[in-house]
Amino acid sequence: MIRDFDSQLQVALRALEEVVAPALGSAEKHVVEQLMLAIATIGFVKSRLPEARRFYRMELRNCIDLATEAGRIAGVADALAHPIAAGNSALADPEADIAEFEAASRNLRDAVTALSHAAVGQPHQATLEAAILGMSGSLVAQNRVWGASFGFEIQPENLPKAAW
Amino acid sequence: MAGEYRIIDEAQRQKPDDDVIAQIRARYPVEPEIDKILTRKMHRRREGKGYSGVTLERLVDGTQRLIGDRLGQPVTIANARWLSGGASKLQMMFDLDWRGPDGGEERTETLVLRMEPAASVTESSRAREFEVIQAVEGIIPAPRAYWVDPDGDFLPYPAMIYAFSSGTAKPSYDAGKVSGLGQNYGPELRAKLAPQFVDLLAKLHTSDIAQAKGMEHFAPAEVGSNASVIRQVNAMRRIWEEDRIEEEPIMEIIYRWLIANAPTLDHVSIVHGDYRSGNFLFDEAKGEITAWLDWEGASFGDRHQDLTYAVMPSFAHIAEDGQTLLGSGMMAEHDLYAAYEKASGLTVDPVRITYFNIYNRYLIAILTLAASARASRSRGTHQDVLVNFVVGLGYPSLADLSDYYLGVVA
Repeated sequence: MIRDFDSQLQVALRALEEVVAPALGSAEKHVVEQLMLAIATIGFVKSRLPEARRFYRMELRNCIDLATEAGRIAGVADALAHPIAAGNSALADPEADIAEFEAASRNLRDAVTALSHAAVGQPHQATLEAAILGMSGSLVAQNRVWGASFGFEIQPENLPKAAW
Repeated sequence: MAGEYRIIDEAQRQKPDDDVIAQIRARYPVEPEIDKILTRKMHRRREGKGYSGVTLERLVDGTQRLIGDRLGQPVTIANARWLSGGASKLQMMFDLDWRGPDGGEERTETLVLRMEPAASVTESSRAREFEVIQAVEGIIPAPRAYWVDPDGDFLPYPAMIYAFSSGTAKPSYDAGKVSGLGQNYGPELRAKLAPQFVDLLAKLHTSDIAQAKGMEHFAPAEVGSNASVIRQVNAMRRIWEEDRIEEEPIMEIIYRWLIANAPTLDHVSIVHGDYRSGNFLFDEAKGEITAWLDWEGASFGDRHQDLTYAVMPSFAHIAEDGQTLLGSGMMAEHDLYAAYEKASGLTVDPVRITYFNIYNRYLIAILTLAASARASRSRGTHQDVLVNFVVGLGYPSLADLSDYYLGVVA
């Protein structure tokens, strides 16, 4: 395929960086700022697009693990059986697209939160909360790695390696 | 907590029906004016009204009609131009020939129109912002507020008009930061600005709230009660419920902790709510703070909210020694608290500091991962690319929240 995404984004970026940006030298500050942010955003997409499928699959696997553990702790594994099965089904489907991984992850996140809410006052509340806090950390860290190019990490050198 | 817990899906979040809106309102009770603003946001979203580009001509027309209505006579404004800065509001600078609020000599005054777009990083009330700026006049440098269009009767969206304040929000030393996040003022300027940064906060917090007239759109707060704190936590939780793109299960756990551990007030202050680098103007040559901006998050509440907010890691950078984290590019956390105690005569309570350290981390995670993400996705602002960029702060903030919380409850 000639019109691969990487080449399309590359030519757009070169036009913005090397032609449009220099021509805006005397433009209003907010116009220049929006251009620079647009360039940074497209640059982010260009660098991450080839890895997106792997990232979303990793995220879904992580959500399935969390939901499975949460269900075990709460003693309601059956209640989470459907969203977990849907997640596993998406992972097993070679033609599943990113939107399906995202939707399955979203459902699992909602289900785990609902379980956490239902656990209030129950004997397993503290154990469940500890599991959620503990297991969420690695996925949050991977999201930080994913978006590190936006420049908000105070010490990016301390981030873990990409796990997707 | 009132109302039954229900999972709201993405389709409902994008087009909330009356039942969804009512359920969220019942579940997370907030101040009446905040309720009005957040409910209006959901109605706007349901109608699918993104932000439509507004021309200067349209703003000039609305501004002239607003001022003319308030002064009781037609006015003409001149030299209208865009004013950049900030992530959330749209601003136009212009000149007005008038006699001033006290009917003095005819003069030309440069003014600023500050208008909210269809959606925002911080959905807020122009009426509240207008009132608090008027209330702090003479206490802390802030633009003089003249007129407000709280419901967008004259302008495309709610707006206010205040006097232009001179100064810059970003130092030439480090001018590339977005919205002042991680702003580095450099050692020389920092040495001049940091004491003012603390002293002005102390003045704000020790001002006599009984003298704060006209803050009609603010619910009162009382010493010995934690009701005002709980209302604010609920406001954040409500925004999370209304705006988030996806759930983060740790957020529900931390919300419960914030409600269960909300401290009572030992002193009622006017809280700025967004007291940090990037939200004040200064004279770079003199090293003087000329005006505090962005009062839209103000409330009656606990001083520890502002204190901890000013030193959030999201607004900090590492000092030249390679180790010290400078809150808002000013001071290390403990140095700032010590200076504040000296300046204000008020104590800095470690228990409340811990609480508001969690509260503010919770707030930042919500404003980035939920409000900013939703506002840019819904094409709701005049600078979606900037608002979307700020979402990048979300996961570092969430990690910081989670780590801090675990350190407290362990």
